[in-house]
Amino acid sequence: MVKKRASKGGYVTRTQAVRYLQVSLADFRRLCILKGIYPRDLTGKTKKKVQKGSTKPITAYYRKDIQYLAHEPILNKFREHKIFARKLSRAIGRGDLDNAKRIDRNRPRYTLDHIIKERYPTFVDALGDLDDALSTLFLFAMMPANDKVTNRVTADAERLTTEWMAYIAREHLLKKVFVSIKGVYYQATVKGQDITWVVPHKFPQNVPSDIDFRIMLTFLEFYTTLTHFVLYKLYTEANLIYPPSINLKRENGVGGIGSFILQSSKSDVLSKPSKISESESNSNLNSKSNSKSNSKSNSKPGKSGKIEISKALAADKNQAEDSTNESDEESEEETNLDEFSAAAEGGDLLLQPKFGDEEHLFSGMTFFVGREVPLDLVEFVVLSQGGSVISESALDELIDNEDENVSNHAKVEVDLSKVTHQICDRPALRNAVVGRIYVQPQWLFDSVNSSKVLDHSAYAPGESLPPHLSPWGDRGVYNPEEDEEDEDVEVAEDDEEEVEDVAEDVVEAEDLADEAEAEAEAEAEAETKSKNKSKSQTKPKKNAQKEKPKQLKRKSDEEKELRKTMMSKKQRVLYDKIQGGIDKEEERKNTLRKKRQQLKN
Amino acid sequence: MATKKRNFSETEGTNASRDVESDSEEFPSLNISDDSEVEGEQNADDVSDAESIASVPSLEGVNSSDLEELSSDNESLKLTDEDDNIEYVRGADGKLRPIYPEIEPYYSSDDSDREDVNPIGNIPITAYDKFPHIGYNIDGKRIMRPATKSAIDAMLESIELPKGWTGLVDKNTGENLNLSKEEMDLIERVQKGMLPNDNINPFEDQLEWFSNTNPEIMPLSSRNEPKRRFVQSKHEAKQVMKLVRAIREGKLSLKPKDDTIDDDDRQMMLSKKLYDVWEKEEAVVNRMHLQAPKLPPPTHEESYNPPKEYLFTEEEKAKWEATDPEDRETNFIPQAFGALRKVPGYANALRERFERCLDLYLAPRARNKRVNIDPDSLIPDLPSPDELRPFPIRCSTTYIGHEGRVRTLSIDSTGEYLATGGEDGTVRVWDVLTGRELWKLDLLKEDTYLSEQASLESANHNSTDHIDQVQWHPKTLLLTVAAGDNIYLLVPSVLQSIEVENEAHDMIEKGWTYHAANLKNIESKVNVDDANLDEDNEDEAKAKRKQYAEWTKPPARLLSKGCNIVIRCTKRVKHVNWHSRGDYFVSTQPDGQNASVLVHQLSKHSTQCPFKKSKGLIQNAKFHPYKPHLYVASQRYVRIYNLANQSLLKKLLPGVKWLSNFDIHPQGDNVITSSYDLRVTWHDLELSDRPYKTLRYHDRAVRDVKFHPKLPLFCSGSDDGTVNVLHDTVYDDTLKNPLLVPLKILKGHKITGGLGVIEVAWHPREAWLFTAGGDGTARLWTT
Repeated sequence: MVKKRASKGGYVTRTQAVRYLQVSLADFRRLCILKGIYPRDLTGKTKKKVQKGSTKPITAYYRKDIQYLAHEPILNKFREHKIFARKLSRAIGRGDLDNAKRIDRNRPRYTLDHIIKERYPTFVDALGDLDDALSTLFLFAMMPANDKVTNRVTADAERLTTEWMAYIAREHLLKKVFVSIKGVYYQATVKGQDITWVVPHKFPQNVPSDIDFRIMLTFLEFYTTLTHFVLYKLYTEANLIYPPSINLKRENGVGGIGSFILQSSKSDVLSKPSKISESESNSNLNSKSNSKSNSKSNSKPGKSGKIEISKALAADKNQAEDSTNESDEESEEETNLDEFSAAAEGGDLLLQPKFGDEEHLFSGMTFFVGREVPLDLVEFVVLSQGGSVISESALDELIDNEDENVSNHAKVEVDLSKVTHQICDRPALRNAVVGRIYVQPQWLFDSVNSSKVLDHSAYAPGESLPPHLSPWGDRGVYNPEEDEEDEDVEVAEDDEEEVEDVAEDVVEAEDLADEAEAEAEAEAEAETKSKNKSKSQTKPKKNAQKEKPKQLKRKSDEEKELRKTMMSKKQRVLYDKIQGGIDKEEERKNTLRKKRQQLKN
Repeated sequence: MATKKRNFSETEGTNASRDVESDSEEFPSLNISDDSEVEGEQNADDVSDAESIASVPSLEGVNSSDLEELSSDNESLKLTDEDDNIEYVRGADGKLRPIYPEIEPYYSSDDSDREDVNPIGNIPITAYDKFPHIGYNIDGKRIMRPATKSAIDAMLESIELPKGWTGLVDKNTGENLNLSKEEMDLIERVQKGMLPNDNINPFEDQLEWFSNTNPEIMPLSSRNEPKRRFVQSKHEAKQVMKLVRAIREGKLSLKPKDDTIDDDDRQMMLSKKLYDVWEKEEAVVNRMHLQAPKLPPPTHEESYNPPKEYLFTEEEKAKWEATDPEDRETNFIPQAFGALRKVPGYANALRERFERCLDLYLAPRARNKRVNIDPDSLIPDLPSPDELRPFPIRCSTTYIGHEGRVRTLSIDSTGEYLATGGEDGTVRVWDVLTGRELWKLDLLKEDTYLSEQASLESANHNSTDHIDQVQWHPKTLLLTVAAGDNIYLLVPSVLQSIEVENEAHDMIEKGWTYHAANLKNIESKVNVDDANLDEDNEDEAKAKRKQYAEWTKPPARLLSKGCNIVIRCTKRVKHVNWHSRGDYFVSTQPDGQNASVLVHQLSKHSTQCPFKKSKGLIQNAKFHPYKPHLYVASQRYVRIYNLANQSLLKKLLPGVKWLSNFDIHPQGDNVITSSYDLRVTWHDLELSDRPYKTLRYHDRAVRDVKFHPKLPLFCSGSDDGTVNVLHDTVYDDTLKNPLLVPLKILKGHKITGGLGVIEVAWHPREAWLFTAGGDGTARLWTT
């Protein structure tokens, strides 16, 4: 109990809080994680008061936070769970399995929806905090299931993440992509909120032994619920049925966002796509004969109102039905676009002024994705920019299935005539198909980041790629893309300045660092005009021009130096801190510039 | 009767049996036997009852003809034993069987209540199937089987079952056991668990002995009837209503719980339960809640294919690996993979996410004000130095000549002659503008007394071989020189006009006559004029004064060089400072204990010691420009004494460890001090004892500070070889704080042996500055 009235203050230590709530430390942690309660940073008097004079570091919580925790219904559930665990272990210990089963069946269950409402009073709040949720989910979707992380957890995470990607792709909300060594970063703008998440590369995760999975799983539990509700809201507002149904055939195969069938809940759309469903069934008929799994998936869809977002499966349509299929596809696209415009009425219109209702970066392009390229990454990027994808791996699978079943049909033949680009990540290109543009995957990302379709010549297979730059820029002030001429001049100037510093008394009459822009332009012009002219001709002129401002600058520097002597100690410390940071940045910039210069030479 | 009522439900069975007993008289058919017998058997149970009943007719009903037949049969086999009256009868097995005569038991007891039952015990009746009898009576006689019915009777019975036929054989009699209708009813009732007797009403009106609403006849207690006895329970009604409501709202399902819910299905349940949480949005502002900051976005360095300049060089990589993981700028080494297919998995992804999780719930959050200001805005806004001209800017003249450091310098009142004293023991006078040496005196060589002393105490007095202070008289061209324990009063013979020189000589000489004539009067006069703060006894004081200092004539060689008087003190004299009127001067001797500060009077050639007690290590002492105040700087404090009142006026606390020097503003209200711990403090005497401003701009110990006598300037010289010139405007308005503006940092003196600028002096009129440096030069800085 927090008994002392005297130390009433606004803060309590962790020990006090745990005693007050009468829970175990582990439960307290879980509660804090779920409720988003965090310790406070205390300073000065408050710290002294709470610590009672001791100087050892403590964790202090805001008193009202703890009181707020005390009223949490889940707290009681935790207590119930404690009892439950005791009963269960006793029953199992006695070998009374029936009883144990019964107890387990009646285990205390709790939901987190009220906490979500509390923590995020508005939807925008929830979206603002989605970064960590998504990153965690994506990580767990990639985790190997073990004794701590069950496969249910990973499967849930995977499903949720794919639903999220399907939504983003469908609504074309993706803004930035960045392939880093840690994973792929994406940024999407949903309802005005920039949401950034990282997807690890598709490799089995290294699981260090010292990681406390109880904490991770508590976070995951909360994030799962949060994402569920957020997705529900997003899907519902986009007039989609949530949870989306899954195309099992695809899911069992290459998987990815293409396996989710986003169904519209709108009635007017329902009437339309009878044709589509027909074609779908046609195409499925085709594949039904091919594989057993298809028959399973076949029974599932078949109802109307289905719009498949991925056109990857368009590839497995028969040549004979080519024409109808194509028209179907188009109609699919049309309905898709119609849908989008409907969603845009809801408020997305303002966010995407660049592309009209129908124009996206890759609209009208069809990408053939080689099997060496990570499909989920490329597919997501292309679809969210309005393109369509045919994946080689999906075709492979189709052919494999066919071989297995020794179908009576001819080999699967795919309409590849629409393919405009081929994403290829091989050292050398063989058997190039005429009419296709072969690019490396980085072309997609750089195009998205610069929001224009870049020239593909630099990205051809086998070419050494131009550097892949982060759309969020540099850590400091260095710009690797800055104009090279400026750079040269400035580097030279820096050197000169250093010389100046060494020889103090010598009055120099050389060019200054801070030159007027007009002068710089004039200079550049002059250089471009007459490069043949010797530099000695231009130099004295330059010097004459620049002598004066340099002196002025020195003078002002000196004045500044003098005025600095009048600062109080507090101000001086602050000044040194800020200026130190700026200087450090500047230094880093200069070293990077120098390195770049060296690399060039 | 009441008890019976209360527990009827429990003991129905027993009641039933009792009813049978009590009502057995009403079965007329069973009443064949002796009435009195049956009446008396209150305690016998049903079975024995029935047996007894059954046994009676069996005895009576023996067919006479059958008996006769049997007896005739027995007679034929009869063998009689005459003696014993034993008859032998051939038994069924063909053997002779003795039949004993009847024994007269002569029962003394009355066995009239004996039952005529077949005491067959547990032996089943079927065991007698082969025999004509069915058991033995108490006398050991056979109880004969009743005669069976004829075949016709049997046939008739088989055609029409008699009433009450059960198909059972009476154990006692061996006859068919027939039950009456009443008996059958009874059995039926017992089987159904009903009350056996129809006549009993189990729901008789309750006799309310205690809960009677009517007042009891004999109440057990006088308490009033509690209300709950006659009012419906509200609590129960509430509970019921709760359930009713729950059922109506569908919260309470009457269906049994679905047993099949597994933990794996929880997600399914959740997805079924999804709804729009944010349907009714309401923005709640929680001021105390801080949203966790987002992770910084990735930068170019993190790219799988970064610009080449981001990649680490060998040194950078080694440095990265050497630094502690917490101190690294980035938690990864930038790497370049030529193509997307070459990018491997990232080993630390899980760990980084885990750390983020830890941060989210363990890291304290605080709203830190981000200092996002232009650092230049912190620099105080001061008037430009250009507006505050004139002030010294450049070194125009360098006075070179001294060997070793120039310890001290002074500019005369006309501003034409600069006197310097150095560690080489010479005093030199320079022409200010040209830098030409006009006059030079090697005091060490000339003063035999000094050299004598030096030879006497050569070990101790190594430091006496340099000039500690030169100071011009504020009005005439009289120079005071402090060297070793002595103060020399000189008139350098460099001056154009002999008159001026003579005037100075006269001023010095005048005192001799006074000194000689009024030696006795001095003390009293001193007491009037000056502050002899610790005058106890005139004689003692006189003796002491003589100890402190002695005004003597210099040796002849010195005399010829222009030195008129040597004041020989006991300790080393560090500073000499004139009063502005030019009669008094004060000297300081840090080692002199209470005689550290001595006040000398030129006109009387007298010396006084104002203090009785030591005030610590005295650094310097100066007179107020016009008031009779003496400022004494000790190691930590500057004390201001009123000489007229002989009292301590003020004690300034510069807050530094070791003062080096101080100066008084020409208007007298401000004091600046310099200290060896790099600080220069400005004291406004009107404000407080503490400094108004503490300036710390020198990198090394500050040696000297000086106010300009006319212009609003002051400067400080330091061991770092620089002199800082500052503007100071002191306003007449006492409410306005002085304005301090740094104007110029004069660099030029080289640091030699740890010393830069040792002393500074302002030109009396111009904004010119003289500095004495450790590099053996004095410099003039002009505008």
